[in-house]
Amino acid sequence: MEKEFKYFEFKGNAKEYFRIWIVNIALTILTFGIYSAWAKVRTNRYMYANTYLNGSNFEYNADPVRILIGRIIVVSIYILFIVFAQHLMMFEVAAGIAIVAFLAMPWLVRQAVSFKLRNTSYRHVPFRYVGKIRDFYAFFLLHGLLNIFTLFLAFPFSYVRFKELILRHSHYGQGEFNFKGKVQSVYEIYFSIIGWIMLIAIAVTMVVAFLSGIALESSGMGIEEVLSSGMVTGEDVSVDDATTPMATGVASLLMILIYLPLIFGEKGLSDAYFSNYVRNHTTLEGAPFRGDINVFKLAWISISNVFVILFSLGLLYPWSKIRYLKYKLEHTSFACHDYEQFESFGYEKGSTVGEEMMDFFDIDIGL
Amino acid sequence: MLIDALLYDGKSSKEHKVTIEFSDNRRVVIRSHNIDVPIDEVEIESRLGNTPRVLSFENGIRCKSIENDKIDQVLKKFGLSKSKAYKIESSIGLTVASVLVTIGFVWFMLTAGATYTANAVASILPASTLKEVSKVTLNQLEDSYLHPSKLSDRQKRIIQTHFNKLVEGESKYKLHFRSSPEIGPNAFALPSGDIVLTDELVALSQDKEYRDILGVLAHEKGHVVKKHSMRIAIKTGISGVIIGYITGDVSVLASTIPTILINSSYSREFEHEADVHAVQELKDMNISTKYIATLFESLEKKSAEDGNSTSMSMFASHPLTSKRIEFFKSYAN
Repeated sequence: MEKEFKYFEFKGNAKEYFRIWIVNIALTILTFGIYSAWAKVRTNRYMYANTYLNGSNFEYNADPVRILIGRIIVVSIYILFIVFAQHLMMFEVAAGIAIVAFLAMPWLVRQAVSFKLRNTSYRHVPFRYVGKIRDFYAFFLLHGLLNIFTLFLAFPFSYVRFKELILRHSHYGQGEFNFKGKVQSVYEIYFSIIGWIMLIAIAVTMVVAFLSGIALESSGMGIEEVLSSGMVTGEDVSVDDATTPMATGVASLLMILIYLPLIFGEKGLSDAYFSNYVRNHTTLEGAPFRGDINVFKLAWISISNVFVILFSLGLLYPWSKIRYLKYKLEHTSFACHDYEQFESFGYEKGSTVGEEMMDFFDIDIGL
Repeated sequence: MLIDALLYDGKSSKEHKVTIEFSDNRRVVIRSHNIDVPIDEVEIESRLGNTPRVLSFENGIRCKSIENDKIDQVLKKFGLSKSKAYKIESSIGLTVASVLVTIGFVWFMLTAGATYTANAVASILPASTLKEVSKVTLNQLEDSYLHPSKLSDRQKRIIQTHFNKLVEGESKYKLHFRSSPEIGPNAFALPSGDIVLTDELVALSQDKEYRDILGVLAHEKGHVVKKHSMRIAIKTGISGVIIGYITGDVSVLASTIPTILINSSYSREFEHEADVHAVQELKDMNISTKYIATLFESLEKKSAEDGNSTSMSMFASHPLTSKRIEFFKSYAN
């Protein structure tokens, strides 16, 4: 039977999301951060509910009260650490906290993976995760050492093993996910990314050099002066002269123009490459996923989004987020002949600490 | 009232098209599935934009409907509307109010809030930490930009005497004489109270008693008294957190851009604050501000002569310098 791929559809719109986003921020400010848990649930609910596959949408089921508890625990641990390390100068206690947190890491990562999956459902059938805690400890111990000794040259190998650890233990109802990826492809992806980034770097530097040449010519400054004045103020020193504002202004503009396209171009490129890679090697009950994200298109969306956010002073962030997500989802497809075959194992509750820890330290596990 | 919905039994991913009936006696009826329950036993999700709304029944059945307006009418009729968040999100006035609250908060945190926090943090932070941080910075500068001073003992003695009078025996203030062709005529203060003065600046002095240098030192003391370094650091931190939260992305954007923006836009304000402080100190010591004004003029002249050869060349092109000269002159009697 010929398989028919169906694309995901994303129906979120920037106007609607802007209101949800700004109200979330305002209420978070007015409640001294407590509302942030509800804000997270509303944002995720909005994104999931607007994601459609075969005419049905996804559901986000996390309970904001549990998220709040998770957040309070994580922030308390962090504050304790800071207080002991920087104010009481009790370094042994601070080190103890850090070591316990470090040792708990594999367990927390597993918790975060499990949290994301079991709070997502589609047609009222939740996803679930059955990976074992000891497998996470084994993974982090083994691959941690391996990468230290190989100076991270083995990272692509570890990446594939990690994806296996996650996806081969993920389920949708009784349906099992599987992931079969070649390590060699991940090495190739890294080479491609490095190559493109070097090209972008050369192009950006040439454009910036040309533009700043014109700008400096007219203001009568040499480029070294502009750069060096930027360096001096970069120190934690109050430099005494009136020259700094304008000089640092020019220097910082140069920095922004050089850095941002590079960093966000890289982000978009890797996201596209790796998303495609994972989708193209993942199946659910034998039914394949497919990713046909254009890497340059996503890199462009990523770079232009940053400038849009910057020049709108953050106000167009909702627009840029919707734009990015929509492009990614609408280039993802799935070929399943029977959407009604999945049987629910019911909803489970569990700890939110892992999820909130990853959130707080901005660690993206990337499901 | 009748609404169209999709029903999922919670046991499998099968989808059923159903019609939900809300009867006047507060009951929810789905005939095709033999459901007839009081509306209070049905959990109706709060509205979120125009996403399909979930209605959860006690036996694990869920229905989804995109007929949000009809559901809102039903809820209103039975006095069950509770989604406050949606009310705010759907009202233009309250959305605008949210924008204003957010902008106001960000603005406050970057101005008065940052000053307040900086003072609070500065009072908590032990002096030893400030000293440690300043020492590291000074050492870094020593390695690359600062060389031993070539001033004569007489010059050093005169300036040191001024300095001692200025700081009135407060032990945290220390004056360092250094030569630095790289930095040029300049002086700067570290949060610990260490103040560095370059030979190149002293060379520009036109007053045999170095009362102009005293003016510069008073200005530097102003930076320390007003805790400018701390305020810059805290504002950078706060804006990093804000940008990170708003963009959901604590990365390069959040860590580099505030540093850049703050260093360039706030230094003007801080220089002025330090100038005001200097004027007050000079007044207390009965020294005219005309000396420092003259020093600024020669700085301006020198940079004009030198063209682009030192980093001070930007001094001349900057209108701010003449404003600062005017400021000091206006206090000179």
